[in-house]
Amino acid sequence: MTRTGNPRLNGYALLAALALIGALALRRPELAIVAAPFAAALALGARAHDPGLTVSTELDADRTLEGADVPITVTVRAERAVDRAEIQLVPPEGVELVDGEPARSLRLDAGEERVLELTLRCTTWGVYELGEVGVRARDPWRLVTWEARVPPAHRLKAYPRPMTLRSLLAPTRTQAFAGSQVARVKGDGVEYADIRDFVPGDRVRAINWRASARRGSLVVNERHPERNRDVVIFVDSLTDVRGAGHSLLENAVRAAASLATRYLETRDRVGLVGFGGVLRWLQPSMGSTQRYRLVETMLETGVEPTYTWRDVNLIPARILPPAALIVALTPLVDPRFVAALEDLRGRRFDVAVVELDPVPLVPPGRTKVERAAHRLWLLDREVRRARLESRGIAIATWGDGELDTVLEEVRTFRRHAHPGRV
Amino acid sequence: MCLLAVAAVPMARGDEGFQGIDVRVAAVAFLALVAAVARGWAPLIPLAVALVGAGYAAELAVDDAALDLAAPAVAVGLFLAAELAYWSLDERIRTAGDPGQSLRRTAFVALGATAIFVVSSVLLVLADEIRARGLALDLIGAVAAVGVLVAIFATARDQPSKGA
Repeated sequence: MTRTGNPRLNGYALLAALALIGALALRRPELAIVAAPFAAALALGARAHDPGLTVSTELDADRTLEGADVPITVTVRAERAVDRAEIQLVPPEGVELVDGEPARSLRLDAGEERVLELTLRCTTWGVYELGEVGVRARDPWRLVTWEARVPPAHRLKAYPRPMTLRSLLAPTRTQAFAGSQVARVKGDGVEYADIRDFVPGDRVRAINWRASARRGSLVVNERHPERNRDVVIFVDSLTDVRGAGHSLLENAVRAAASLATRYLETRDRVGLVGFGGVLRWLQPSMGSTQRYRLVETMLETGVEPTYTWRDVNLIPARILPPAALIVALTPLVDPRFVAALEDLRGRRFDVAVVELDPVPLVPPGRTKVERAAHRLWLLDREVRRARLESRGIAIATWGDGELDTVLEEVRTFRRHAHPGRV
Repeated sequence: MCLLAVAAVPMARGDEGFQGIDVRVAAVAFLALVAAVARGWAPLIPLAVALVGAGYAAELAVDDAALDLAAPAVAVGLFLAAELAYWSLDERIRTAGDPGQSLRRTAFVALGATAIFVVSSVLLVLADEIRARGLALDLIGAVAAVGVLVAIFATARDQPSKGA
């Protein structure tokens, strides 16, 4: 701990010195008597010892959901008696204290241990270093202060809170593995597809007896098999637009986590590409392990500015399997991301875009020039959107509403405007 | 209040001319103390106390009377004024304390003030006894001054040590 003097120390020293000098100069013992209390306090303060405070923190969990409460325990122990020990837990940005006092002052006897129970809440997803505590101890005369700052000792991962999604975007083609998605092709399955004439080798149980009776020849039912899907979530981390207490990148990651969770629940394979200054990817896979892998990768997502040109050639081929549905989450601000989407569409990938609307966060400006620039920017956005739509990419804007509604818009577009189905 | 009470001592005893000056000095000291407490400017506290103390010293010098019996009360008043003002500054940082913490501190300060009054009174009696011997008084003053300097050196050093 670092020992420092309280403002009292200088003040009392000055007053004692002035009074003593005055006593000597004026030859008045009364002034020496006036100096006595200040001098005595200084002498007592000089005898103060380091109280030997030990502070430790204990966190109940190392993973949580954003918005969920996390209890933290701060334990304080003093080797010597301390008149006033001030303990302040310093939560990082994005974490707030919801229960308990942020700063507590305690009186501790020698060897006494006190436990402070506090509750924290992560206001947004991310990785947080927790447990930083500021400690200050004072002697009874408050002349000397011992200060220390205990560094963070815990790492807490706050996962994005999943949104409620009633239905998902279905890719145009399914994969070979069994899953929950009814394939467009015909084969062994549950969903009825069609009837056709019986050919040798068809199973007897596939014969549609009613239809056969009407036609006078054997016909069999054809069915759609249930297959899984490959979905790659494509997050634009080239830029972020912040304002009014929230960030579009944070929303994008929140949406990506929700989509990934829902797709994985239906036995689909989900991959991730974080397209930004640092390119992050995760190969499509299925299962709950993949869910944690995806979320952990997303937690590292942040805006790393780059001026180099980025395109999809940088992404390994195995990350983007054929016939995969690519769900892009972007504010459509960076032209490099728009070019990457066009490139993917050019490679016959099934692309859908959820545009995170940055317009409400960007004020039009006060001057005429600023307003004109704002209008030009809006027009430029319209052009980008039109370019994507003209290539058959479904796009819907996500503002304040539910993500479910936005996905429904995308579905509607894809129902009517998709260039081809297999 | 303590500061104003101390300021009233020389005011009550001085002539009209001195009273006028002392009122102005006391007003400046009071404003300095209020500013220090309200704005958190700690250096103004010793300034305010020193101004009032200077008024008292000036009255003692001008009056040139025998030993002032009010000296212990003045010492306690000035000390309390400074201590309570610094306490106010300490409380600017809001912390939730243990129950009864403020009461305990109040008792501690009151006990300290009582002890100061008793010790000052004893010192006053001692000073009265040895006042006839001028050299002895000077010697006490010099020893006290050296003691204060030693205390300042001992406490003002910031010594980093292990812990926390």
